[in-house]
Amino acid sequence: MSKIFLKDMIYRQARVVLTIIGITLLIALILFLGGIMNGMKIQARQYVESTGADIWISAKGSGGAFIGFSLLVPEYLAFLRHDKRLTADSVSPLVFAQARPIIRGKAGKAIVVGYKRDKHGGPRHAIEGRMFTPSEFEDYRPQDLPLAEVVVDEKMGLTIGERITIGGKELKVVGKTKSLMFVLDTPLLFMDIRTAQDVLLDNYLHVNMMIAKSKGNHNVSEIATDLNQRGSIEVRTLDQTLDDIIDTYVDEPMKAVTFLRVMLCLAAFILVTMITYVTTLEKTQEIGILKAIGASNHYVMLLILKQVALTSVIGVVFGLILSYLFAIFAPIFVKIDPVESAVVAAISFKACCAGGYLAGHRATLVDPMVAFRGEI
Amino acid sequence: MIIEAKGLTKKFGQSAAEIVAVNQVDISIQMGELVMFMGDSGCGKTTLISLLGCILTPDEGELRINQKLVDYENDNLSLIRRRDIGFVFQLFNLIPYLTALENVMLAMDISNTRGFEAEKRAEKLLARVGLKHRVNHRPGQLSGGEKQRVSFARALANKPKIIFADEPTANLDSRQSQNLMGLVQELRQDNQTTIAIVTHHQELRKNADRVIHMEDGKII
Repeated sequence: MSKIFLKDMIYRQARVVLTIIGITLLIALILFLGGIMNGMKIQARQYVESTGADIWISAKGSGGAFIGFSLLVPEYLAFLRHDKRLTADSVSPLVFAQARPIIRGKAGKAIVVGYKRDKHGGPRHAIEGRMFTPSEFEDYRPQDLPLAEVVVDEKMGLTIGERITIGGKELKVVGKTKSLMFVLDTPLLFMDIRTAQDVLLDNYLHVNMMIAKSKGNHNVSEIATDLNQRGSIEVRTLDQTLDDIIDTYVDEPMKAVTFLRVMLCLAAFILVTMITYVTTLEKTQEIGILKAIGASNHYVMLLILKQVALTSVIGVVFGLILSYLFAIFAPIFVKIDPVESAVVAAISFKACCAGGYLAGHRATLVDPMVAFRGEI
Repeated sequence: MIIEAKGLTKKFGQSAAEIVAVNQVDISIQMGELVMFMGDSGCGKTTLISLLGCILTPDEGELRINQKLVDYENDNLSLIRRRDIGFVFQLFNLIPYLTALENVMLAMDISNTRGFEAEKRAEKLLARVGLKHRVNHRPGQLSGGEKQRVSFARALANKPKIIFADEPTANLDSRQSQNLMGLVQELRQDNQTTIAIVTHHQELRKNADRVIHMEDGKII
């Protein structure tokens, strides 16, 4: 008879099933949204980490390499190359900017990465085709334009020799790289620094940032602090840059999503509270009978809480499963974190039980006299 | 005395709308007695047994159950109800999703009597009220008379000292009512249980040891 709560749930199965569906969807959405954010963070990190650079230099006051609008003149290359704490020849310029390439007549989205081939900033080898032809002009004369070639992400579905247009300029696809998507599955288009300057900066000889690799026996933070004191540039370490990029591309734009996740958790709490509360109101007569024949408030409360706990556990487990299914079939990269799943599951379960407790408290206030007044 | 009440008073409503449902009632019921409360509708019968059964708290007066004074401030009234008192309701009030057996076991569950012992006792009680063949039927599958028999079995589940029955025959035909009263007499003798029945069926009075008439909240 300790299974009375189960029999009650089976008797009211339609309501129980609907409640479970509600919790399942809410939990799945909470986790799925979290998974999208995690996916964005992973994608934001993976490009920065793939460059191998640990010093990121942008224009002073821009807030960081990926945060604001940073433009540097190439003269900084020479200045940095003479710093003995940086690996010889590691200093290189980088253009990194969002673009709307026209591919097969349709505007798409992509990130243009302009760098010097064989330096930090992009791949050194193509997995299909070849790398773009590097510019030969170290002094960056505007009139000396390299071949308009681009190496694309293997997942973009482009073929070697195909043409795409960026900024009204046509580029030839000469190779493909191993997939390295940026935030929200935005593909990266790798090209020579001069080509990027031409298509994005109207051939101005500026770059967004300089990147470099420190020598192993030097502290990166100290190098960054020291370089920062030299005026007109802002130097960040890899960790600071990662924080910047995640803050800029994930946390800031996803503030609304974070808020939505909290709201969804609250909705789960309200859903369970409302349904359990309404069910409790409907069961007033039944609860009155239980109390009339001697059930304590503790007994009534436990009866309700057991039902809420079981409903919530089923809803949460199904929600976890559904969120992983969503992640598998999502059109963008979604990474659901098991630890976060456990935390969300625990919080949601507690929120649901809190809702059940409120309804249970209402049940304990039922006057046993109702047992004399009507039929169930 | 199993029940002894002095000056029990219960009022409902306030000021001009105030109704004195039970007014300064003194009553005592002896162990094993079968008492019937009779009177017109609204005379306070149900309110009185609710007071005697510790479901309602009186505005005035005192109540002793099994010679112990009920302290409404400090006593656990639900404990008194499940330990000393059984209730039978006019509309049966069985839990619809439980079988007859489970409805009887429910009362024991509330008193922490569970498992094999509870099941055997519930089967025995249902057999005693003539429902051995209906133990696995739900209330919706039972007749009115059968439901009320299950109610009596449930009321007896925790071996109460007294059973209060509120109009137990109100929804039964005269044959079912007589059968039920026969059963009540047998149960009283078997279990030495005191039974207090609220009824307005005059033909049942012959079954009672004592009939208490009520009018306007008072015993007359």
